[in-house]
Amino acid sequence: MATVQATKQTQLTMVQALQSALVEEMERDEDVVILGEDIGPRGGVFLITEGLIDKFGADRVIDTPLAEAGIIGAAVGMAMYGLKPIAEIQFIDFIFPGFDLLVSEAAKIRYRSAGQFGVPMVIRSPYGGGVRGGSYHSQSPESYFVATPGLKVVVPSNPYDAKGLLIASVRDPDPVVFMEPKKIYRAIKSDVPAGTYEVPLGKAALTREGKHVSIITYGAMVHVALEAADAMAKEGVEVEVLDLRTLQPYDTDAIMHTIAKTGHVVLLQEAPRIGGYTGEIAAFIAENGVEYLEGPIVRVAGWDTAFPYALEKAYMPNAQRVIRGIKKTLNF
Amino acid sequence: MDIKPFTAEPIRVLAYDGTPVENVDRLGIGKDDWLKMYRWLVFARAVDDRGYILVRQGRAGFYAQIAGQEASQVGSALPLHKEDWMYPDHRSQGSMLVKGLSAAEWFGHVLGKMLDPTQGRLMPHGPGRNDLHIVPPSSTVGNKITEAVGTAMAQRIKKRKEVTITYLGDGATSEGDFHVGMNFAAVYQAPVIIFVQNNQYAISMRTEQQTHTKTIAEKAKAYGMDGYLVDGNDILAVYLVTKHCADKARAGGGPSLIEAYTYRYGPHSSADDDTRYRPKGELEMWRTQRDPVTRMRKFLETKGLWSEDQEQKLQADVKAQVAKAMEEAEKSPAPEPITVLDYAYEQLTPHLEWERRELAAELGV
Ligand SMILES: Cc1ncc(C[n+]2csc(CCOP(=O)(O)OP(=O)(O)O)c2C)c(N)n1
Repeated sequence: MATVQATKQTQLTMVQALQSALVEEMERDEDVVILGEDIGPRGGVFLITEGLIDKFGADRVIDTPLAEAGIIGAAVGMAMYGLKPIAEIQFIDFIFPGFDLLVSEAAKIRYRSAGQFGVPMVIRSPYGGGVRGGSYHSQSPESYFVATPGLKVVVPSNPYDAKGLLIASVRDPDPVVFMEPKKIYRAIKSDVPAGTYEVPLGKAALTREGKHVSIITYGAMVHVALEAADAMAKEGVEVEVLDLRTLQPYDTDAIMHTIAKTGHVVLLQEAPRIGGYTGEIAAFIAENGVEYLEGPIVRVAGWDTAFPYALEKAYMPNAQRVIRGIKKTLNF
Repeated sequence: MDIKPFTAEPIRVLAYDGTPVENVDRLGIGKDDWLKMYRWLVFARAVDDRGYILVRQGRAGFYAQIAGQEASQVGSALPLHKEDWMYPDHRSQGSMLVKGLSAAEWFGHVLGKMLDPTQGRLMPHGPGRNDLHIVPPSSTVGNKITEAVGTAMAQRIKKRKEVTITYLGDGATSEGDFHVGMNFAAVYQAPVIIFVQNNQYAISMRTEQQTHTKTIAEKAKAYGMDGYLVDGNDILAVYLVTKHCADKARAGGGPSLIEAYTYRYGPHSSADDDTRYRPKGELEMWRTQRDPVTRMRKFLETKGLWSEDQEQKLQADVKAQVAKAMEEAEKSPAPEPITVLDYAYEQLTPHLEWERRELAAELGV
């Protein structure tokens, strides 16, 4: 299903993988334009668009005034006209000035126009903690977007997926909120093919196989799940890790498959627990797969507070908390 | 005629009584255009009146009349080309009709029928039609400006000689999106016309409660944009000012703000009671002394172009057209319940497929 056209593999960071997706899509289709704050000569604050303005010019790499409502609104208007805008919101914590345009317009125009108008756009934005960013540079607001029919929500966890998911998002006919785990931007490298390939939206990845318990998670938390899995392996517990990759629409088959296999599930998210995304997954499992469960559905999440600066370590879910969660469901 | 931004008095071609204050033979538009404009005014009013009755009859849930604002709407839509884009607001049916939406489609929209190009998805604020480049309006006051600017940016990027017009009310100029949209429009010199119908009220709030500037047009100055104050009940003036801005935008001259100073006759909407806030006598004054339809008719009469016979014939024609359109709308089927799940995404997601099976079972289809 992933259509790999090129074979040459290079070890890339997520930043480099995302950039190669942007470059390849812009080379492929001249209607693809990108817009956002400081994305031109500055290359974006995380350098994902570095050098693109020299390659594609200021009509396709559009440095914008500092107004998220303008960025998202303009992208919606461009998309309806026939361009394929990729908007960058500098930090997802700052998407809220443009929230109305996203949830009231981008998400609803297809429905409201009875399919006459589509809004094929992508909003890329770094999210998540672990970078000493405090309340306004660390949040994980995915549940707002997931609760809005009409939006797709994608969260990659590694460079390979980041590239393939971004390419698939650009080609998708509907608006996609593409949340990039900024903690992972340069933290790991993985093999990334040099050519174009898609990682299909709506399909989870089985990142690690195991038979005793499943961790279902996404984004930066995949790495916390893997750390917990390594630790549990030493105790003889084989942990399966399912990386959802797309939160809306999500891969119901993969979820059913893993719970049928292990009978135990830990749901892991960085965002606060109440109203958090994994509550949806818990409800789905309870509605559709309760017969497979041999223990409670356990959630491991951020605390139900704002995101702190100095106490970030105490805030974010870590392997210890995941391990406690695993034991809670296994020892039921 | 020299069209200047930032005038203290509204730009005007016709005095309130229909007497020209400009040399109308040198406006670049002539007899046929004048007659066409008048017919559109009469038609827009008739369609709107008929639409409003549907609420009184309990056949529609909501209606926002354009009565009093016909010249602003028709006059600003007539200079547009077929390929130009229009972002209507919740009170723009006059402009949409001129852009090509049929009266039958409008009634279909108000009744929530399949004849509505948007299949009854939005309360009757106005539908949209992709082939006419009419974007469906939203209910969130003021939030389409940035999108209209985005479309205009795209028109410029694609080097097309097109413009985009976006409609909003005086109240919408208090929203943050107005500021953001104005700024984006100017920074990118987008070929967009931001057309404010200042009907003096945002529900009950008067313009002077909404802003401390004397005019809305002057706000354009702060963005490095031209702002034009025009008598919104003078169709010739509205037409000429809009055409001026459209020509300028097509030639690469960037965006403009137009404030059409007008007056709303009806309540804010069918859900409003305007007797609570309108000063006594104000409505009567506008209706009897400043009506946009009467003003144009008087102008045609002074020019010897219009007679009582012609008036009666036009009224009868329009009445028949409206009746026929209503009949067509009434005959149109309502959307099928099963379609409620369509168009959330281009394709049904796995969840929506599951919901579709649930709904199909419930409906027995
Ligand atoms: C963001 C938002 N706030 C409030 C409302 C409720 N509302 C609908 S129309 C309106 C007044 C709009 O006034 P104006 O912009 O002057 O346009 P008009 O209705 O007079 O044509 C209000 C307050 C809304 N729809 N959207």
